[in-house]
Amino acid sequence: MPEPMRLEMREITKTYGNLRAVDAVSFDLAPGEVHALLGHNGAGKSTLVKILSGVVHPDSGQVLIDGVEVSPRNPRHAQELGVALVDQELSLVTVLTVEENLLLGSLRRSTGNSGSTSPEALRALLDDLGLSHVKLSAPTGNLPIGEQQLVEIARALSRDARIIILDEPTATLSELEIAKVFAAVRGLAAQGKSVIYVSHRLGEVLTLCQRATVFRDGKLVGTRNVAELDRSGIVEMMLGHVPESGRQGLAEVPANPEVVTITGLSVPPRIQSFDLTITGGQIVGLAGQVGCGASEVLRALGGLIPEARGTVDISGSRLTLGSPGRVRAEGVFFAPNDRKEEGLFLSHSIADNLVATRLPRLSGGGFIRKSLQSLNVNRLLALTGISAERRGTEVGSLSGGNQQKVLIARGIEQESSRMLLFDEPARGVDVGGRADIHELIRGAVAQGNAVLFSSTELDEILDLADIIVTMFAGRIVSIRSRAEATAASILTDMTHGSEVMSA
Amino acid sequence: MSAIATMTPKRTARPAVGAPQRLVFGLTVLFVVVLLAATLTTDGFYSVQNIKAIVNAASLVGIIAVGMTYIVISGNLFSLSVGITAAVCAMTFLWALRFGMIAGIIITIAFGATVIGLQGLLVGYTGANPIIVTIGAGALQEAVATWISGGVSVYPPDGGPDYAFLAGPLLGIPFPVYVFAGVVIIGGIVLKRSTFGREIYLMGESPRAGRAAGLPITRLTTGAFVVTGICVAIAGILIGAFNQSGTLTATGTLTVDSISAVLVGGTAVVGGRGSVWRTAVGALIVAAIGDLLLLRGYSTPVQLLVLGLIVTTVVILSYVNSGQGRRA
Repeated sequence: MPEPMRLEMREITKTYGNLRAVDAVSFDLAPGEVHALLGHNGAGKSTLVKILSGVVHPDSGQVLIDGVEVSPRNPRHAQELGVALVDQELSLVTVLTVEENLLLGSLRRSTGNSGSTSPEALRALLDDLGLSHVKLSAPTGNLPIGEQQLVEIARALSRDARIIILDEPTATLSELEIAKVFAAVRGLAAQGKSVIYVSHRLGEVLTLCQRATVFRDGKLVGTRNVAELDRSGIVEMMLGHVPESGRQGLAEVPANPEVVTITGLSVPPRIQSFDLTITGGQIVGLAGQVGCGASEVLRALGGLIPEARGTVDISGSRLTLGSPGRVRAEGVFFAPNDRKEEGLFLSHSIADNLVATRLPRLSGGGFIRKSLQSLNVNRLLALTGISAERRGTEVGSLSGGNQQKVLIARGIEQESSRMLLFDEPARGVDVGGRADIHELIRGAVAQGNAVLFSSTELDEILDLADIIVTMFAGRIVSIRSRAEATAASILTDMTHGSEVMSA
Repeated sequence: MSAIATMTPKRTARPAVGAPQRLVFGLTVLFVVVLLAATLTTDGFYSVQNIKAIVNAASLVGIIAVGMTYIVISGNLFSLSVGITAAVCAMTFLWALRFGMIAGIIITIAFGATVIGLQGLLVGYTGANPIIVTIGAGALQEAVATWISGGVSVYPPDGGPDYAFLAGPLLGIPFPVYVFAGVVIIGGIVLKRSTFGREIYLMGESPRAGRAAGLPITRLTTGAFVVTGICVAIAGILIGAFNQSGTLTATGTLTVDSISAVLVGGTAVVGGRGSVWRTAVGALIVAAIGDLLLLRGYSTPVQLLVLGLIVTTVVILSYVNSGQGRRA
């Protein structure tokens, strides 16, 4: 009788409302295998991972672990079944020691499983992961991020996991740290553990994994042996057909556009000597996956990262980084990617939010001029297509798309503006809202502002950018005009990583 | 007196009226009914003399509470040292009278604005916890003031300017009441209409969003504390004039009373919501409760107990209502 697969997922379907997040997807995993899950944002990878780790429950389908049918009820139950998820976001408690973190939430005491939580056993676990220099009594927060990631993996192992899910484990790591994670993953496979490796980084997948499964729009595209694949083969599977939409050819460059020169920008820990020149009148898009550094570049330019260094000149005047107030005084306006936490003043009205960054310009003698404010609000509302009667409505009660429009509109149409920064301008917005938001941004660029935005989504990049700058691991991979860019070339560069991965 | 019903900090829009809202509404109605019943059954409450006493009692607390409203709305909780600063300001005023009336007032206001403004600068620049900073600053002021004064009371200089009008009645109404009205009107207009005021509301609503939008966080925080400092100095001047002597213990429960006035008025503890008008109403309610208990023969500890209960209830309800209490 052949050995059963470590994991089999059969015909799994999960719907959220009208959306089929995964649609009759099957997937299997052999003992000792490292298996890649690939696909765009929203392709269905994370839903599958959530089902396996007990976070969500499938509408239909079967899950078998070592030939036994199971249905993980919650993350704790999944853990008992031998499934460990190492999330992209670290879940360690940084004020505790390494040992305390390893024991945190451990099931062993209550269930009396085999294995041991003795210091010796934990020590051996760390040594196996190349952490022999890390003391069990060391405060976790003092370790570099990469080693914290390894401690997370150690924690998963200390629970006798048979299936280890690594979700974008390298997104925020340096090359040296990535090498450590790789060595650890190979070590796991050698011990017969099975690893599901979720990543956008094709180079890593090609180096590390035996098989790769590709999803697109909630459906299974296929499972292939990595040995038979190359980069372009995977890109093709991920893309299917992407409509070559968007603006072809450049908008007319307005007279006297702003010219922004960024030289030697560094944002610890990952971005060093970032150089870019932006000419007003063209929309420059920073394309890259989560952790590529695009968001950090925008935040640094917006004055929100005190540690950022480098010179940024806007048409000859030098920008002082590290203070949002000073940067704004120079005509730089930043729209963050998290509209609820950092973008909008949710319990204030639409009108208040629209003019929040331009109050000094609407004031005389320290007091706000109502007529001037009214004029501005009405003009901005007309641009967003939100009815002027709703100006007094609490922003928090709007739909996500309209909230995002308010946030974007807040930055535009200001006489003092010279550079506009949009971090994921259409995040979590439906197709219609996205088109409106792109229209707002195009209007702003026509006035000669330098416009820089970031996006992890290929469609958005292709739709909005005149100049496409792809980023990977904190560095620029390529700069192309929209006319010479293709979906495949951009996606390849966004998931670039061959020279990083030469293992 | 319906102020309490709307004091809830609405962090998230909630279309349906849920159980917490009903609870808040119910308790507010209960509160108003009890208060009204008490006033109607207490002899002498509705006499001209008593109403005057209430308004007078509300004045000093109210003036300070107007300043405190700025701090609360800016999202920096409270200053816990306004009482001691008011006492020190009273001493400063009486001492500075030797330079003349106008000079005395200016020096005292500059002193109050500086002392409390510096605490705001510290809070705004370092992000330090305002409660801890102001407690520390309070102890510091007490120590320095005791050291300089040698622990004895400060008296106005012989032959100094006549300041008695500051405490006496004008057209039958005590002078502090006029000052209270003036502070409420000016404080209210500045908060609602000025750029500074608007930015304080925004910052209090979400400090992170305020930072990302490039609002001058340090300047705004300092500004909110400076406004409080000015109000505290004004109150200090009136206290000094009334007592005709200045001691560190002159201000009693002023800190707690002014915080109570802000909260009972319905300004959200978490910042971003509220108004000076609400605080003025709050100050009157607090004074009325004190007066009521006094007329019914309850002692000072009982008054403090009732006030403490009301404030605690208001704070708990505002959290329950904002959904923050259900994080589990």
